[in-house]
Amino acid sequence: MNRPFLLATLAGIVTLSGYAMAGPERVSLPQNYRDSLIRYLEVDRPDRKIVRFMYVNPEASAVARPGEDLPEGTVLIMEDRAAELDAGGAPKRTVDGRMVATDKILTLFVMEKRKGWGADYPADKRNGDWDYATFNGDGTRRADAKHDGCFACHKNRSQRDFTFTYWKSVADGTHK
Amino acid sequence: MKHDWCTTAFFAGLLLSLGLGANAAADEVTITMAGGKYSPASLRLKAGDTIRFINDDNVDHNVFVPTKGFSVDIGKQEPGKVLTLPVMKVGKFEVECALHEGMTAMVEVSP
Repeated sequence: MNRPFLLATLAGIVTLSGYAMAGPERVSLPQNYRDSLIRYLEVDRPDRKIVRFMYVNPEASAVARPGEDLPEGTVLIMEDRAAELDAGGAPKRTVDGRMVATDKILTLFVMEKRKGWGADYPADKRNGDWDYATFNGDGTRRADAKHDGCFACHKNRSQRDFTFTYWKSVADGTHK
Repeated sequence: MKHDWCTTAFFAGLLLSLGLGANAAADEVTITMAGGKYSPASLRLKAGDTIRFINDDNVDHNVFVPTKGFSVDIGKQEPGKVLTLPVMKVGKFEVECALHEGMTAMVEVSP
């Protein structure tokens, strides 16, 4: 094997490896996230009869600053829980009008930011250096999940580092 | 004379009760979504009132509240669709369209 051919082959392997790594497989669900991460927000979703618990890793929370992009290594989790329903099937409400979450976890969405991750995506899809993954309520990976919708929806929050709630919570001072 | 006093008292009581009833009743206030804006973009309400969101545009919109303690997402709202959001808690919160960055409104709820 001559030297140029060897170099080209190696370059090809590296390139293909890079593409193989891009995507949800490189995003993990943190172990014991309910204990180890910070729950910073609860979002009612009445049309789907779910309550969303939002978590951030403490390392990111410690250094996040209002108005700035979130730090590398930020992990955000959106945990969908079934809501308590009344006899008619409507979500129960507290006196403040808030929905009530059950212990039943339906889906977990994780977004993670790592330096260089975004370079694997075309500009019209790229969300900075964020990538996404989806897990079942028991923590197993949902291998057939598609994430184009995540990229498309989060792209219109480019001014807040592609996040809907955490950047805003930092700006409001309610993120810890 | 006694009859006149009773009649006056009756109507005074009736007017008072109607007046109190009107004050206690929850209001429904409309916010229109069109041209990439909520209108009005600033609103003051009482706890118990309801906001009626009307998508008067030709594209989908949404009502998303990211403010802690008030946070809610009432889903995608197609053109012509009307969705309501009761406000039960006192405080101030921001409304934004999840589909259109910069489309926001502020709501202040008093007791």
